[in-house]
Amino acid sequence: MQLKFITMEIRFEHDVVLARQRARSVAAFLKFDIQDQTRIATAVSEIARNCFEYAGGGLVEFTYHSGAERIFFVTIRDKGRGIPNVDEILGGKYVSKTGMGVGMIGAKRLMDRFEVQSAAGKGTVVTLGKAIPQRFSKLNDAELNAFMGTIERRRSENPYEELEHQNKELLRTLEELRARQNELAQLNRELDETNRGVVALYAELNDKADFLQRASELKTHFLSNMSHEFRTPLNSVLALSQILLDRMDGDLTSEQEKQVNFIRRSAQDLTDLVNDLLDLAKVEAGKVTIRPAPFSVESLFAALRGMLRPLLSQNSSVSLVFDEPEGIPELFSDEAKVSQILRNFISNALKFTERGEVRVSVRMSHDNTAVFAVADTGIGISEENQERIFEEWTQVEGKLQKMAKGTGLGLPLSRKLAQLLGGDVYVKSEVGIGSTFFVSVPVRFHGEIDAVYVPDVHRELDISKLPVLVVEDNREALFIYEKYLKETEFQVVPARDLKEARRALHEFKPVAIVLDVLLQGEHSWDLLQDLKSDPATKDIPVLVVTVVENQQKALQLGASAFHSKPIDRGWLLQQLQSTLKPTSEHVLIIDDDEVSRYLLKGALANSRYSLLEASGGKEGIRMAKEMMPSVIMLDISMPDLSGFEVLDILKKDPQTRQIPVIIHTSQDLREEEREQLKAAADIVLKGTGSREMAEVRIAEALSRAGLPFGVHVADEVRA
Amino acid sequence: MEKIPILRMGDFLLVTIQVDMHDRLAMALQDDLTQKISETSARGVLIDISSLEIVDSFIGRMLGNIAAMSRVLDAQTVVVGMRPAVAITLVELGMSLPGVRTALNVDAGMELLRESLNGHEGIRHGSNF
Repeated sequence: MQLKFITMEIRFEHDVVLARQRARSVAAFLKFDIQDQTRIATAVSEIARNCFEYAGGGLVEFTYHSGAERIFFVTIRDKGRGIPNVDEILGGKYVSKTGMGVGMIGAKRLMDRFEVQSAAGKGTVVTLGKAIPQRFSKLNDAELNAFMGTIERRRSENPYEELEHQNKELLRTLEELRARQNELAQLNRELDETNRGVVALYAELNDKADFLQRASELKTHFLSNMSHEFRTPLNSVLALSQILLDRMDGDLTSEQEKQVNFIRRSAQDLTDLVNDLLDLAKVEAGKVTIRPAPFSVESLFAALRGMLRPLLSQNSSVSLVFDEPEGIPELFSDEAKVSQILRNFISNALKFTERGEVRVSVRMSHDNTAVFAVADTGIGISEENQERIFEEWTQVEGKLQKMAKGTGLGLPLSRKLAQLLGGDVYVKSEVGIGSTFFVSVPVRFHGEIDAVYVPDVHRELDISKLPVLVVEDNREALFIYEKYLKETEFQVVPARDLKEARRALHEFKPVAIVLDVLLQGEHSWDLLQDLKSDPATKDIPVLVVTVVENQQKALQLGASAFHSKPIDRGWLLQQLQSTLKPTSEHVLIIDDDEVSRYLLKGALANSRYSLLEASGGKEGIRMAKEMMPSVIMLDISMPDLSGFEVLDILKKDPQTRQIPVIIHTSQDLREEEREQLKAAADIVLKGTGSREMAEVRIAEALSRAGLPFGVHVADEVRA
Repeated sequence: MEKIPILRMGDFLLVTIQVDMHDRLAMALQDDLTQKISETSARGVLIDISSLEIVDSFIGRMLGNIAAMSRVLDAQTVVVGMRPAVAITLVELGMSLPGVRTALNVDAGMELLRESLNGHEGIRHGSNF
């Protein structure tokens, strides 16, 4: 039987020491006496040293051999160059440089068995053996295991060895670390490459985003231009056909009337389409501003009823019913948008209902939402079409659809508007029985509100009279002013406090202001000061009328006249008439579109003004300086100078600064453009309605600018 | 780096080898010791190897070298405390440590050193007078 106790490597000098220590331990275990233990250890030391010294290291095996004899073998093998002169050495003739020349031969003497196998280039195997004493009974597994354990332990008790062991571990760890580092470097390189890719992708994305941004801007630009380019000729067609239908230039034959009606209807359809398209585009571009304000459902229904009555007359077998709203609180939302949605629903319902009724109702739903419903008894919508109708450009095929053509944009637009308000639209329908369209609107609009929108104060300006702003908190006093001026060419526009006064001034330009100094809790001296320091208002005469005797201060601050209460009618009229400045009686129209000028001339035909026409901005500015017109009607888009530029030039020139300007355009103005213009001019959109309506709008605008439309002021004053 | 400590006791240096030395450590001790002898002008070196279980040819040669070198440096070397088994093995190995004086233990070694030193001094005095 052979049993290998230990195999150990000799790689370092210290392994020689370890080898002899182990040899001694194993010998002790095998019950060799001290002397033999020393002999064995010494012999192993000699041979192990040779192995390390000459072959640079090798393997030491400790073996238990039991056969005829029990022998403890120690085999030391190396892969060195071999020992060329074994015999010489064993013969004792060789003199070592390191030891005493007794290494091998001494070892041979110390051991019972000694064998050397060596060949040049094939390494050396030295086998040492010693007979195991009789005292050692036999190998016992448990004892052997315990012994092996102690050897292992002893190994780690040796600090040097431990150090070496740790050193080896350290080296191995370092090696691993290096490998990992390489791996990391590799990963880093890969990441770098990926990073470069990502950066490139980002750049590409940026480019794409830029491109999309440009495309979107282009689209918006195109749409706002289109609004102008399409609407101007459409408006012209509508207005001109209306002139023909009004028989203003002679009678039409019935056939001609029919044809003109067709022209007009086509133009109207096209206008609707353009308007819907623009609305939808604006919603999509996020250009729609929600302007929430408090309003009641009753007033909304009343307005709708009035607005939609004309639609009904064509369709007498259908009745439009508004259910009385009950228990609906005042809504805080955008009334115009709600109205637009409901109008769309109702006109749709009327289109697709041949007989029966269209019923508009409202109820409160949970979560504080008002749900409006428009129910018809029409043809209904099949289930598969119920979602499709909210898609753009969708029209369900059918008999009635062919009759009543729409743009196909109404419902998608309604849905988008409702969503902007925080609600939604939906439909319930059954084919042949009818449809009900719903729109839910939160009672309070929760979206972002830039500023609480204050609806314009509606001032019923009498266009034949000159507005006088009376700032007065006393009702009776106002009533007296009203009475004093009743039969004159002036009209009282009351303002109860400074805020109202400022807002009124924003809206129109009075010919004069009557100012009470002591208003409830506030002084109006500030207002006077502001009026006089603002170039837009500083030429408006201000009459200070108050109970406080403070003429000095009033006149110092720039008031035209002062009177203490109670006021005298003669004085008031005299003051008002004397403040009227003599005006030239011209209206200057600056517009490159001949048809627009033609139509505007028609609208102003009944006014007291003679007309001047300029077909471009530069010409207009020149004429404004030469003729000093009472008012200028200005178009926005013109080839040489835009309306903005013309307005800028006019307002910078002290000579023309005072001339009121009315912007007359069919262009959809952006919010900021509108604000920009509003500061310096009034805005009137070119209308599509009849000549009379156009006339009324112009007259209103003139009145807001402090100019009468009809009667000749100068004559009146003289009379 | 481990080192075998060298203690100075008056005119003597005492080296107690308590670990199983590997060859380089033995060489280092040899160098250290010669260095120390010349530094301290020690007259005697006592090497205690009572802890050593094995003295093989290399360590044997080292002991011989130390003895020879210290002699050259005018110091006596005594190796003390060699175990019997070690002594026997050394002989069997064919090494008799020529030129290395030995004593059974440190005390005996000191005695030996003093004696030889006095003898030496006596000779010196003698020559002076």
